[in-house]
Amino acid sequence: MKAKIADRDGALAWIFLMPSVVYILALVAVPFILAVGLAVSDVTAGDPSFNFVGGKNFEAAFSDPVFWRSLGNTFLFTSVSMVLIVILGKVVANILIADFKGKWFVRFLVLLPWTTPVTLGAISWLWLLDSIYSPIDWVLRQLGFLAPQGNGSNMYWLGEPGLAMLSVIAVHVWRLTPLAAVIMMAGLVAIPKDMDEAARIDGAGWWRRMFEVTIPMTLPVIAVAALFGAIFTFTDMAVVDVLTNGGPNNATQVLTSWAFFRGIDGGDIGQGAAVALFLFPLLMAAAIAILRAVRKLEVH
Amino acid sequence: MSEITRRMLLQSAGAAGVGAVLAGCASDEDLNPTPAGTGAPQETFTEPTRKLSGELKILLWSHFVPSHDTWFDRFAQDWAAKTGVKVTVDHIDQAQIPTRIAAEISAGQGHDLVQFIACLSHLEEGVLDLKDVTEEASKRWGTQLELCRKSSLNPKTGKFYAYSPGWVPDPGNFRKTLWTQAGLPNGPSTWEELLKGGTEIMKSKNIQMGLGMSQEIDSNMVLRALMWSFGASIQDASEKVSLNSPETIAAVEYMTTLFKQTMTNEVFSWNAASNNQGLVAGKLSYAVNSISAYRTAQTQSPEVADDIHFVPALSGPRGALAAQHVMYNWIVPKHAKNPDASKEFLLHYTANYAAATYASKLYDFCAWDKLTPQLNTWLATDPFGSKPADKLKLLGDATKWSTNIGHPGPANPAEGEVFSTFIIPNMFARAARGEVSARQAVLDAENQINPIFAKWRAKGLVGG
Repeated sequence: MKAKIADRDGALAWIFLMPSVVYILALVAVPFILAVGLAVSDVTAGDPSFNFVGGKNFEAAFSDPVFWRSLGNTFLFTSVSMVLIVILGKVVANILIADFKGKWFVRFLVLLPWTTPVTLGAISWLWLLDSIYSPIDWVLRQLGFLAPQGNGSNMYWLGEPGLAMLSVIAVHVWRLTPLAAVIMMAGLVAIPKDMDEAARIDGAGWWRRMFEVTIPMTLPVIAVAALFGAIFTFTDMAVVDVLTNGGPNNATQVLTSWAFFRGIDGGDIGQGAAVALFLFPLLMAAAIAILRAVRKLEVH
Repeated sequence: MSEITRRMLLQSAGAAGVGAVLAGCASDEDLNPTPAGTGAPQETFTEPTRKLSGELKILLWSHFVPSHDTWFDRFAQDWAAKTGVKVTVDHIDQAQIPTRIAAEISAGQGHDLVQFIACLSHLEEGVLDLKDVTEEASKRWGTQLELCRKSSLNPKTGKFYAYSPGWVPDPGNFRKTLWTQAGLPNGPSTWEELLKGGTEIMKSKNIQMGLGMSQEIDSNMVLRALMWSFGASIQDASEKVSLNSPETIAAVEYMTTLFKQTMTNEVFSWNAASNNQGLVAGKLSYAVNSISAYRTAQTQSPEVADDIHFVPALSGPRGALAAQHVMYNWIVPKHAKNPDASKEFLLHYTANYAAATYASKLYDFCAWDKLTPQLNTWLATDPFGSKPADKLKLLGDATKWSTNIGHPGPANPAEGEVFSTFIIPNMFARAARGEVSARQAVLDAENQINPIFAKWRAKGLVGG
């Protein structure tokens, strides 16, 4: 009797895999190859015809001080955000697994920043950080930290390079902490209760159990949360675009926004692609780290 | 009042979020979509010179004055009914248009006719030469306004990469009560008076000046105006980079003084809507902007609107010039399936520019004076309720003190890239903040600008 397709494991595996393969090829592989091609071409917004220019676009990018500033800002935003996301995500996860009345409602509220579209969230922050009407400044004035009027009555969150950086990082942390918290929550609930109880019986206090039981047991999950946070921060331009447009004086410019200004607004697609392609090595490293962490989790 | 201004802030923040960047004055949106006056000019129709058929797909911005869009959509459908062409009109936020055009040109399909509010010289290779339309328009209505011509013609290649039938002036907006108390009831007329009066207002009222040094469009415009008035420019008439000059350094030094005496760090954080909000909220003594913020105030805060008055470009040591606030560029991409209909529609639209000016509440100005003979009458007795009625009269000679981005040269793609990467606002900001000297700021900016010009020159799109 001829075997049906459902009986042929090899064919069936390919059929099941095909949607993912097509998705990855169409939305990851093709754009990536296109980006590499564009980065070594002289393609502009008005002229899509391909002429090979070798490494000229990279040379131009490297000789531009704004590129290096954007690269530095990207790493700064990503690393600081990642640390804060992990710490706050862990704190929130601990709260969320505790038993208390209205837990589900609190979980819903905590998840809101992650479920809100990033642009919408950033617009709300744009108002919160506004140079004239900032409600944060209003609160600080009421508390006496700022002058009631005149000089010193506003922080100018988005007008001072340091404060603008802080603002961008704060918004990234605000929107990504819930994701990290949910990931870590899954890790926390998976810890066998008897391990915690055994440590408790042995006389371990809260901090000792935290650092010697909970964190080691959830480390792979924490790594996944950190790396997801890093990737989402590293590849995002919406927050910078809405809050600062890269300013003041490129103090918050990141690779993604600089690639957009050069490639689309400036019309030099080739150079925009070269700048954007610089994201690749770090993203690849992050992806490898994620996969390793996941494997470690499986082994455990 | 604070409730109203907070609402305005949210509206403008929403618009800014949709696009930001070269983001225009999103807060300029007028809540009243219907022109208040009843004297709209009669529209005309001339039979197209060729037989038309098929479909015409038009993409243009969502106008800062919504009544214009209401008029335009009806106007386009009237033309469609008379010519037998099926017309589709898509309005999108202006900040989305550069991305959309780049995607359509890359894909080789999309709209037949696209309008944008700034120069599209960087798209020259992907669009049709509109020399025939411009020449036909000039044959019918006389000489085209030079600033529109210089924003649509590449002198190096001789190609009209765009058709530019209109523009928008960028006057100074000032709060009359404040400036009266500073001894200048008619507002400043020179940059020196701006410094003197602005300092006095800052000292006595603690209300600052509203000239941005941020990565946004209005900062780009006003700082170029300052440079030109000091005799400085990014390029010369032959498209050679001319930024590093004593005149540019003097302009940067002036702005540093103006910042220290009249402004706060707020101006480094602005987006395109900020100066409008500040002016309407009474937080700024002076800003440079189109009349759309004023039109918004007429609806939302009439008492503030009555206090907002206008002055032409301020005089500096070497003249008085302002950049255009908006430059309309219509392009026909090479992939357009109906270029004939596109060109005929453009001529029909231009022939009826007076109606466009009226529907935009005197926001849009025509590139051919002959087509808006009523303009000076409208400006002298504003049909949309200005108090006093002749408040906008000074705009009647706006062509004398307005010029194109790229002045004294053309609006070429190198100038466009310098504009979109905010090199000029950052040059001024660095000196104003005291990070570097004026001389160093200019030198650093020149080092960023030179490779941009060299690149586009190598492509054959920039002279010099």
